[in-house]
Amino acid sequence: MLEADLHKQLRDFPLNVHLLVKPGEILVLMGENGSGKSTVLNSIAGLLSPDTGSIRLEGTLLFNSENATDMPVEDRNIGYVLQNPAVFPHITVRENIAYGLKARYKPKDLVHSRVNHWLRVMDIEGLGGVKAGNLSGGQKQKVALARALAIEPGLLMLDEPFTALDTESIQSVQEAVRTCVSDLQIPCILVMHSVADALVIGDRVYLLNRGVNRWEGRPSDMPGAGMQLST
Amino acid sequence: MNKPSRFNRFILVSIVSALLAITMLLSGCTSSQPSPVTPETTAAIQPTTTMPLQTAGSTPAITTAMPLTTTAASPTTTLAPTYTPSEKTLIVYTAASLKGVSTKLGTQFSAAYPGHSAVFNLDGTQALKTQVENGAYADVFISASNTYTNTLKGEGYFINSTVKPLTTNYLIVILPSDNPGKILTLADLAKSGVKIAMEDKSVPAGTATYAVLANLAKSTYNQDWNTSVFKNVVTYETSEPGVATKVSLGEVDAGFVYESTFTAAPKDTYLAITIPKADNYLQTYTIGVLKQTRSTGAAQEFEDFMLSGAGQQMLKDYGFRPVS
Amino acid sequence: MTHWFLQPEKSRRTLAVIGAGFLIILVTLYLALPVAALFFRITPELFFSSLSDPEVQSALGLSLVTSIISLAIVILVGTPFAYVHSRITYPGKMIVDTLIDLPLVLPPAVAGVALLVLYGRVGFIGRYLNLFGITLAFTTVAVIMAQIFVASPFYLRQAKSLFEQMDPAYEHTARTLGASPMRIFATITIPLTASGLVSGAVMTFGRALGEFGATIMFAGNLPGVSQTMPLAVYVGMEGNFIVGITISILLVLISFAIMIAVRFLASREVPLA
Repeated sequence: MLEADLHKQLRDFPLNVHLLVKPGEILVLMGENGSGKSTVLNSIAGLLSPDTGSIRLEGTLLFNSENATDMPVEDRNIGYVLQNPAVFPHITVRENIAYGLKARYKPKDLVHSRVNHWLRVMDIEGLGGVKAGNLSGGQKQKVALARALAIEPGLLMLDEPFTALDTESIQSVQEAVRTCVSDLQIPCILVMHSVADALVIGDRVYLLNRGVNRWEGRPSDMPGAGMQLST
Repeated sequence: MNKPSRFNRFILVSIVSALLAITMLLSGCTSSQPSPVTPETTAAIQPTTTMPLQTAGSTPAITTAMPLTTTAASPTTTLAPTYTPSEKTLIVYTAASLKGVSTKLGTQFSAAYPGHSAVFNLDGTQALKTQVENGAYADVFISASNTYTNTLKGEGYFINSTVKPLTTNYLIVILPSDNPGKILTLADLAKSGVKIAMEDKSVPAGTATYAVLANLAKSTYNQDWNTSVFKNVVTYETSEPGVATKVSLGEVDAGFVYESTFTAAPKDTYLAITIPKADNYLQTYTIGVLKQTRSTGAAQEFEDFMLSGAGQQMLKDYGFRPVS
Repeated sequence: MTHWFLQPEKSRRTLAVIGAGFLIILVTLYLALPVAALFFRITPELFFSSLSDPEVQSALGLSLVTSIISLAIVILVGTPFAYVHSRITYPGKMIVDTLIDLPLVLPPAVAGVALLVLYGRVGFIGRYLNLFGITLAFTTVAVIMAQIFVASPFYLRQAKSLFEQMDPAYEHTARTLGASPMRIFATITIPLTASGLVSGAVMTFGRALGEFGATIMFAGNLPGVSQTMPLAVYVGMEGNFIVGITISILLVLISFAIMIAVRFLASREVPLA
């Protein structure tokens, strides 16, 4: 379970967010550009620090402004796929997926079996030895996802994962996300702007506008569902 | 495919400007020559004599310099500066050791020959020779080396009849005024750890230094001394003033320069150790008019001025010796 | 059929082609002819025989050794510096930024004078070093110091710009995956900027190799100690001009090799996905 209470002064307005995401639940974070969505994700990941607030994941306190707790990014064990999936283009798919495991000095056979597992789950077994820079958009997204999940994170966050994909890839990546999140029983936050996608994959929707929550609830209950949110 | 007319205009403009540029380049190279005017008859003006400068009464062994203004030697130029030749302005390529006296010479020359002026290009004689051989323009050439003078004569650059000895100069060893190397005699130059600056062997002063050292080794010290002195050389400068600068900066313990450099330096710039005449090398400077000059008359006037009482006195004031 | 000069379109086109060709030839010849002239000034026999001249060999060896050492120092110190400089803001960053560019516009002779005034035997810092018996001026160390001073901007600017322009997503992702800053630097940052860094390094090497003004001022001119190839050319052209031309040709060949290396590296860009 992720519980995040974030307050941060952005350029034009203050961000005030309170989030609760249950294990196995996919929360879709929606809002216009500049409403603070990426700031929320970056704060939870630790790449940014909120001005005040607290972040608790599965009982572990990641951040608390009151007693100056601020766990470094490297230790938070959060799987975070940024808007630019940033697969490392100069190394192979295998090496990409293994990156987080190697960084934690996991033993070789564990790394090997995990990588194979995720190649299978993402249905990209043939691409193992390919340099990640040569992949298509959809393939890269899958590799980034596999890479984030290989470290067995306590939380999965995806920033606009479907924007650059074709319909077929979107479907398979959505499948993969849903399956992994429910199999691993971890909370998941997805930042999106497509209402249609939210309907398909989200369990709950959290609407953010100028740093504040305007609405929260089930996707099917969304005001103006059936319309594309402006980006 | 339509060629937009703007592109055409651009091409046209480029061609025209390129042609203009070439024309200008060509015209710059072969500059329009003023038709050689017969030199104005120079009134035999008696140059006003007596520059009230103290003559250097330099005593042997360690001495301090006499009070005359000298500009600190600046690094020698590698390129021939471009001057616009005119019949009134002479371009004089001059050995660098005349740095200090050249300004005065120029002023006095203009005073003696109103309407005429001299511009000096000061550099190591070897550098000037190379520049002339590669087409640089000069009217008069003052060389610190008979060898280079003879080479230029042989190559046909001089009006040979005008080539005459101008002045002479002995070498001397100068030290920074605080004598960091604790050098008291020439023997001390071989002490380990001493830093010496001298000119490269292609520089006339450098050839002279090599000869002086060989003489000293033969007459007074020995070959080991000679070897040790060369071991102590930290830099071979490309002009004589370059050595003087290194010494005045205190960056080296000793340097071989001309006596004139020491004599003309401001008081307390250097200490000096004289070299016995028997071992010393008397450098003879020559002056000559170059065949390529476009102002033969004015050039000859300048040479006459330099060889005259006034010119010779000025040289003497700045520490040069007369031609024997 | 009418003549080509009566057809306005055709004549314009021909004129354009001639004009463009003319410009290209003009620029090419201006750059190429002087270099070519060097090769024609001496015979191949003279060239190869003067290669065994001790002056030539000493200058060549000294130049290569000092330039390589200068390059190594610039890379080892400059890379982390450029990285830190590009990642954090600190007070005075803009001044440092300007200082990095300074040696590019400063005349090399001025740089040499400055180094002498600071590190020379009676220099502001040099006088204290002298007390400990440390001499810098007129040594091979001075050659290296001069080369580093004038050539480092080529590498620092390149490295700085590469690090700044690299998408932060790569490093951020690596951090979330648990990699330490050192690991990120070694496994992500450097590989992704490598070919750009190398071309910066090659330019730096070329500049260090060609350095003259600061060297002759601060390090002097002593064969085997400070007489690098450019100095040997200068002295050679006024005395032994065969040596001067030979070394000039060597420098041209090395410069060509450098340029080819840069082109080759630039064409092997790693795609930043």
